Amino acid sequence: MASVSVEAVRKRYGALEVIHGIDIQIPDGEFVVLVGPSGCGKSTLLRMIAGLEEISGGVIRIGDKVVNEVPSKDRDIAMVFQNYALYPHMTVRENMGFSLKLRKAERGVIAERVKKASQILGLDPYLERYPKQLSGGQRQRVAMGRAIVRNPQVFLFDEPLSNLDAKLRVQMRTEIKALHQQLKTTSIYVTHDQIEAMTMADRIVVMHDGIVEQIGSPLELYERPNNLFVAGFIGSPAINLIKGTLRRDGGRNWVATEAGIDLPLNGNASGQDGQPVVYGIRPEHLVPADNGGLPVTVSVVEPTGASTFVYADLSGAQICGVFAEHPGVNPGSRMTMMPRLDRVHLFDAGSGQRLAG
Amino acid sequence: MSPRKAFDEARLMLVGLLILIWTLIPIYHLFVMSITPQAEAFAGAVWPKTPTLDNYTTVLTQGHYFLGHFWLQLFNSAMVAVAVAVLTLVIGTCASFAISRLRVRIGETVSNLALLTYLIPAAFLAIPMYATMGQYGLLGSRWSLILTMVTFASPYAIWMLRQYADKLPYELDEAARIDGASPIQIFWLIYLPLMMPSMVAIGTYALLLAWNEYLYAFLLLSSDTEITLAVALGHFLSTDDAPWNLLMATGIIYALPPAAIYYAFRRYMVAGLTAGAVKS
Repeated sequence: MASVSVEAVRKRYGALEVIHGIDIQIPDGEFVVLVGPSGCGKSTLLRMIAGLEEISGGVIRIGDKVVNEVPSKDRDIAMVFQNYALYPHMTVRENMGFSLKLRKAERGVIAERVKKASQILGLDPYLERYPKQLSGGQRQRVAMGRAIVRNPQVFLFDEPLSNLDAKLRVQMRTEIKALHQQLKTTSIYVTHDQIEAMTMADRIVVMHDGIVEQIGSPLELYERPNNLFVAGFIGSPAINLIKGTLRRDGGRNWVATEAGIDLPLNGNASGQDGQPVVYGIRPEHLVPADNGGLPVTVSVVEPTGASTFVYADLSGAQICGVFAEHPGVNPGSRMTMMPRLDRVHLFDAGSGQRLAG
Repeated sequence: MSPRKAFDEARLMLVGLLILIWTLIPIYHLFVMSITPQAEAFAGAVWPKTPTLDNYTTVLTQGHYFLGHFWLQLFNSAMVAVAVAVLTLVIGTCASFAISRLRVRIGETVSNLALLTYLIPAAFLAIPMYATMGQYGLLGSRWSLILTMVTFASPYAIWMLRQYADKLPYELDEAARIDGASPIQIFWLIYLPLMMPSMVAIGTYALLLAWNEYLYAFLLLSSDTEITLAVALGHFLSTDDAPWNLLMATGIIYALPPAAIYYAFRRYMVAGLTAGAVKS
């Protein structure tokens, strides 16, 4: 096992730079998830760590060793691909043992390591089958088995669950996490699915347009997003973001929207009076209020059983509230929602950065 | 089935039947002539009065002036065909691997140039090819024919194998690289096994192309011990009283190996003929 360090790494394709100097330190044994919308550079970064893409600038270290010029096979990494990339003409056993065979391991050693991996993954009954005879979930497991027989320093996962159906995805998510807790191998996992990121990661790296927007534990990102992008990306349903102007008057702070609504703030909010800001409140941090809240007109009510999503119109702004108890409203009815003041996020409208406090 | 549909089907059947008869008539003549004794050869009967297998015996025992080297010439045909198939496959798989998997810089150009060569009909190249073989001192040798046929078969082989190769997910190569495979190991352990079906199709194509070749075989080979059976068949017509029945019997024998090969590999052939037709 080893740490991975990414220092000022850049990637250029000709004149086009897609990764603009990224720094990430991953300690030994950590499970890090790179997440971001498609085209943000997360897969490219993973492929640079794997040695499948050249590094245009900066340094990547695995352990203490700079690997910029080291070929993939000598980096002591294993990778799980989105489409599994199992060798179709080899049985499960041969697929899993292939890397050891190439490394001229003894037959006995290969058999033993394959057996151990197949036991961990529950693949024993399928060892003599070919990939086409397996279901999607089993193929995914073989792909992981191929990675773990090597006992590599680092596991790399490139959107490994996106070809699976929703139910299997949730199940495999748990299996991968359990596997990591058992093996404790440093893992870097790429996904565009923020739920996957939140549930699996020790730390999440949120990427956007080739830069890192924020690095932190799932709860840090959820509770203190650094900027509007992270706030909007993490959380489902997405955070409500309402533009307005910060007002301070004596000890009282609020955000005035263009439509003339006053959004309540804590007394300790920072920022200048008159500063254009974006007011962020997550749907689950709105509570139905009898008075003193935000007056809204309900447009859609979605009961999910565990909670109820209420989409509503706040003088032209669409907002969403998630309530544990069905608030007993129908489309067209009026209600008031009160933001939990300790959960309000305030961002500078120009830079999109979080305002301290 | 509605009457309307049955009518449509019947019309199609009729067209199919006509085409079938049209195709089979020459083969029928070939066969009938091959079992007709010399005396009856031009009686014009639909079926000979005294059908005989004597013609085949004569051919197989080399019992006629024109058939003095039948077995050797059959061997020449086979040897040329197999050599062409093997060499074409070697060139085709290596080139397609380099273009599709190693992604060498000029790969795309090579691939397109390969196709471009088909703009020039093979017959136009007969004189240049003859001159070239003369310069290398290969005229009269079976190698001249082998090299020529490889030249004609390779571009198609490169193009087709490249189409197949592009369908293999590139992640397989990346996974193999991470697993520790060198390019040579990827070629042998991943690429070749997965390309086998298309290689059978392309190999068969090259084999039959060489087996059926007449023009270049006639042009480049001369001695009775070097020519292929196709050229030897042509020699039958160099006299006024050509032994047609023997010619036809030899023709039947000559047609059997391609038929057998085509039958054995028909699954791959159909796949090979349609592959690359649509982008998938």
